[in-house]
Amino acid sequence: MPSFKAPAPGFSVRFSPFHEHRLLAATSQHFGLVGNGHLLVLDLSAAGPGGPGLTPLFSFPTSDALFDCAWSESHDSLCAAASGDGSVRLFDVTLPPAQNPVRLLREHAREVHGIDWNPVRRDAFLSASWDDTLKLWSPDRPASVRTFRGHEYCVYAAAWSARHPDVFASASGDHTARVWDVREPGPTLVIPAHDHEVLSLDWDKYDPSILATGSVDKSIRIWDVRSPQAPLAQLAGHGYAVKRVKFSPHRQGMLMSCSYDMTVCMWDYRKEDALLQRYGHHTEFVAGIDMSVLTDGLLASTGWDEMIYVWPFGSDPRAM
Amino acid sequence: MAVVLAILQYCSLLLAHCQSRAFHYPIMGFCAPPKPWERAGAEGTSGPSPFKPPSGGSTSDVVEASGTAKPGETIAATEGNMSANVNNPISRPMPQRPWQQTGYGNSYGGTGYGSNMYSSVGGYGSTYGSGGLYGNSMYSSYGGGGGLYGGSGMYGGGMYNSGMGSSYGGYGMGGMGGMGGMGGMGGMGGMGGMGPYGNPDPNSFGPPAAPPGFWVSFLRVMHGAVSFFGRVAFLVEQNTQAFYLFITAMLQLFDRSGMLYGELARFVLRLLGVRTKSKKGRVQGAEAPAFEGPGQQLFEAPKAANNSWDNVWGN
Repeated sequence: MPSFKAPAPGFSVRFSPFHEHRLLAATSQHFGLVGNGHLLVLDLSAAGPGGPGLTPLFSFPTSDALFDCAWSESHDSLCAAASGDGSVRLFDVTLPPAQNPVRLLREHAREVHGIDWNPVRRDAFLSASWDDTLKLWSPDRPASVRTFRGHEYCVYAAAWSARHPDVFASASGDHTARVWDVREPGPTLVIPAHDHEVLSLDWDKYDPSILATGSVDKSIRIWDVRSPQAPLAQLAGHGYAVKRVKFSPHRQGMLMSCSYDMTVCMWDYRKEDALLQRYGHHTEFVAGIDMSVLTDGLLASTGWDEMIYVWPFGSDPRAM
Repeated sequence: MAVVLAILQYCSLLLAHCQSRAFHYPIMGFCAPPKPWERAGAEGTSGPSPFKPPSGGSTSDVVEASGTAKPGETIAATEGNMSANVNNPISRPMPQRPWQQTGYGNSYGGTGYGSNMYSSVGGYGSTYGSGGLYGNSMYSSYGGGGGLYGGSGMYGGGMYNSGMGSSYGGYGMGGMGGMGGMGGMGGMGGMGGMGPYGNPDPNSFGPPAAPPGFWVSFLRVMHGAVSFFGRVAFLVEQNTQAFYLFITAMLQLFDRSGMLYGELARFVLRLLGVRTKSKKGRVQGAEAPAFEGPGQQLFEAPKAANNSWDNVWGN
């Protein structure tokens, strides 16, 4: 299946919620330590000279590394990127690079590491930053709507509930995952999720109270927010820190994870033998994964080997 | 008069349209297709929702109705032009400052300083394409000293044959896993900071901006260095096990180099005629001159050889 060599190590990849052939990828020079970032829009063309291929449609350079990106749920050409200089940038892919970013939102004091667009109400997005805060933004406003304080260390990721328009969760280096309601001043639930930093989390799309967290302690834990005393399940199998977790938009209980052990894994936490598949196609840290909302079973990953892969579940990503 | 007014009105309308166009994204009108889990028959399996029922209206309105809204709260001191951006409802994208101009290298082609730096470092793939330094040295364990030095050799190849390049090469040498690679990147750290010098601003009108003053550029370099090491620290943190292995490898290296220096020091001292006596020497042969070495005895001569030495000196 198609792969694409990006100009720099990849940090995040996202399928468009509007066009099944379109992907967004955030890449950063020098492994995100210093240098520029690039936001790429890729097209998954069905037929090409060498079979299906990934072709770049747009490329937007930024002055600092990009750690995450997200498509707008309300407009098919709008997307947001989280930058290492503390800014959140909105891009319109129909405009030339000279007119982008269409909005530059500078409120975070440190690197913005995670970004997520509200998939239910579709009119707002969140940014998670190393300055220990999260911010809620609306694309029609020039400033953040509100700030969420409470974490005691960097916030690495934020994820909106797939079913509740006002609820989201955040993963932080203070070893906790927190559940928030935009109407409440503080977190509604604090889960001491792991003994190490929590790097990522996601909600089950089919069960609104199930949450998965991925941590530096190499494990993925599944939580029920109604009984957060103990995890529902613990998925072991990664050899290093788990960088991202993502629930399948199509199948209940199925989730995807990537790790610093350079593998991508598919899991079903409700099964006795939870690990469904392990992909070792990357030769470096895998930093970004996504599952297509429009095509069942279509997966994407990107990593520090500068490769972006798209493949259907069950096949070999490197098979052409 | 009426004509003038009409023209003015038209112009202002046009202007308003232009200004609002860039930011007018319909919020509720045109939305992504329904998600798979939102379709009929895909109801969740859990019981009552643990959350308060959702509110109606847009997210911004919901937040404002709840009284928790605090628009535009900045976390730290922000830059002056941001506040203007906040207060102005029809804002324009903030123009980038000259040193923020980005680009694939072309925007770095300024003065000789900048362009040389970036063409050698930032050239994608060439300097550290996955084949070269990264591929072979990064993941080999620390033991293969020679091969790992190849990593620093890469940086040393060009203009980095300097203290900086070699010291970070040293990291790579000690290294393991990601550490080696990151250490290698160190050379870039300073570079990132240097970038601001002499970048032409392709979008600016009129004469180029005045070069930043010494302190400004110095602080910028410092900022670049600090943020670089901050990111290294975060990466290390996210790889605690890798970090542990890295430290272990470094300690082992120091341990071995310590032994090496111990041996060298003894050798030099002997050349200088200083007699050093080791415990073992005293035990085994107190009469033997230190120069001939109980150490040598230990290393080269097995027990049976003691007799032969005795023969040489004794009789």
